[in-house]
Amino acid sequence: MLSVQDLTVSLGPATAPVDVVAGVSFELAKGEILGLVGESGCGKSMTSLAVMGLLPQPGPRIRAGRVLLEGCDVTQLQPWQRVEAGHGRMAMIFQEPMTSLNPVRRIGDQIAEAVRVHDRVSGPPAMARARELLELVRMPDPAMQLSAYPHQLSGGQRQRIMIAIALACRPQVLIADEPTTALDVTIQVQVLGLLRELCNRLDMAMLFITHDMGVIAQLADRVSVMYAGRIVETAGVEALFGRPRHHYTRGLMDCMPSRNSGARRLPTIAGQPPAPGTVRAGCVFASRCAAVREPCRTAAPPRAEVSRGHEVLCTFPLDDGGPR
Amino acid sequence: MNGNAVLDIRDLKVSFKVRRSGRKYQVRAVDGVSLSLAEGEVLGIVGESGCGKTTVGRSIVGLVRPDSGTIGFKGRDMTGAGLRDMRLNIRMVFQDPYASLNPRRAIGDSVAEAGDINGFFTSRAERSAAIAAALTAVGLDPSFAARYPYELSGGQRQRAGIARTILPSPSIVIADEPVSALDVSVQAQVLNLMMDLREQLGLSMLFISHDLGVIGQISNRVAVMYMGRIVEQAATRTVLDDPRHPYTRSLVAAIPKPDPSKRILGAIETGEPPSLFKRPSGCAYAPRCPLASQRCLVEVPELRSVGDRALACHNV
Repeated sequence: MLSVQDLTVSLGPATAPVDVVAGVSFELAKGEILGLVGESGCGKSMTSLAVMGLLPQPGPRIRAGRVLLEGCDVTQLQPWQRVEAGHGRMAMIFQEPMTSLNPVRRIGDQIAEAVRVHDRVSGPPAMARARELLELVRMPDPAMQLSAYPHQLSGGQRQRIMIAIALACRPQVLIADEPTTALDVTIQVQVLGLLRELCNRLDMAMLFITHDMGVIAQLADRVSVMYAGRIVETAGVEALFGRPRHHYTRGLMDCMPSRNSGARRLPTIAGQPPAPGTVRAGCVFASRCAAVREPCRTAAPPRAEVSRGHEVLCTFPLDDGGPR
Repeated sequence: MNGNAVLDIRDLKVSFKVRRSGRKYQVRAVDGVSLSLAEGEVLGIVGESGCGKTTVGRSIVGLVRPDSGTIGFKGRDMTGAGLRDMRLNIRMVFQDPYASLNPRRAIGDSVAEAGDINGFFTSRAERSAAIAAALTAVGLDPSFAARYPYELSGGQRQRAGIARTILPSPSIVIADEPVSALDVSVQAQVLNLMMDLREQLGLSMLFISHDLGVIGQISNRVAVMYMGRIVEQAATRTVLDDPRHPYTRSLVAAIPKPDPSKRILGAIETGEPPSLFKRPSGCAYAPRCPLASQRCLVEVPELRSVGDRALACHNV
């Protein structure tokens, strides 16, 4: 369905590029939910914008790599060119629905606008489809809500509207960039449930980006962990949580408060992520890794498949699921 | 409530005037909250956005003026009087370390501000020493005094914010979502720091957060707020391991557990959040509550003590 190969996104002049995304590859199958997890600045949002063709201009650019949607490289196409070429069936939702919605236009008009672009219909048929989409995202009173303004809706409802707009193109791939981070936990669980149900029902693949390991565990089929512009570990969700092999993944899990209830002190990962472009040699995690050895500082770690479908970017991966 | 309470809040009510589509509304953000904080204790206040938890914190430090109620600090009523003295004793750590530090002032000047205003320092050397001590206490090198906020990472900024809080040796710290803006790995570092400081400096702390995981880590007791009222209050483990109020139950159930074998999506019902403009006449939680009865729609449940906890519910 979607295949991202060796994607590299760079900032700065072409003569001295700084890679904020450095050789990211992943595959997304039909109906599959891939979780992309990492801390702020690790390049996860930049990856999703590059895949969508939404990198801000001027600014970061795709320096290398390919994004194949059903076998066709869409890297060089603007979003409107993708729609015209018949490769427009990819959509994205963002963290803060209020900033993505137009505050002075009615909900129905905003959904119908997306319908017009993708279905080439307007007027009553577009509005009818908008209503259908609201039903699809389980909006209460869909007919009435068509004439509502964004400020009249709660945060969870606004996110449902964003999902409805995203579904207007009948996406094969939905990219969700921290869509529940701004929501309260009781509403988050509803929106996550809706997203998973939609993936099942519409056979839609989803790339779900988050910093929250709990959300990933609840939602994803497979998980890629990103650190300093690289995917450091990819595995099925059960394998990743049951037996993490990268030291960073393990550290991320260890420092979650909910895994340590009652502990006097939380385990931490010392220091902070390196600024892009500052690691010239060796492993990007070496400066923070508790198990760092001499080769880690000089040689780039190999990407190895430690078990079927479980890849890790580490010279000395964790070999058991127990504590370090 | 409590003889050795350093902070004793009784029946706090705070409302705001809000204008929406030409009409004026009186929104009651805090609707009769009573709390007491014992010496050396960490009391967590948890609830969803808009429940009034931040307003409780801000009323204590005098950033908003309550409509009624009393705030007692070590036996003295602080409402309206003696702000200067109180502000040195009750200090606040804010959520957003990017917004709460003045970008045009060096870290050292921000950290020393409370001391400068109150004439703490008799010489420059004494001032620098106080800044260095505060920065060291939060795990920052004293050289950070000369740096500016833009040079610091989020975690370092929050450390600087904490240094500013502890410089006048307060007895109470009100921490309003101090780690929500931080990444998980940094969040753990800052939480550990706050626990260390509480022990070393003998602080009492009111820790406000929407995150029950974080609250469970740091606090001894928890008060759960819903639409301006406390609905359940007890020792942290009691609340987390055995929540009784239907709202607390739904909050605890909705935490995304980092365990793919315990999936909850689609399995729990949590209802729509309330509108602050349309407060239900009875229990505010009744419209979302699976246990709601006729009585809940008309009569507001009072917070009463049930065994080792306080609960505001007609049906549990």
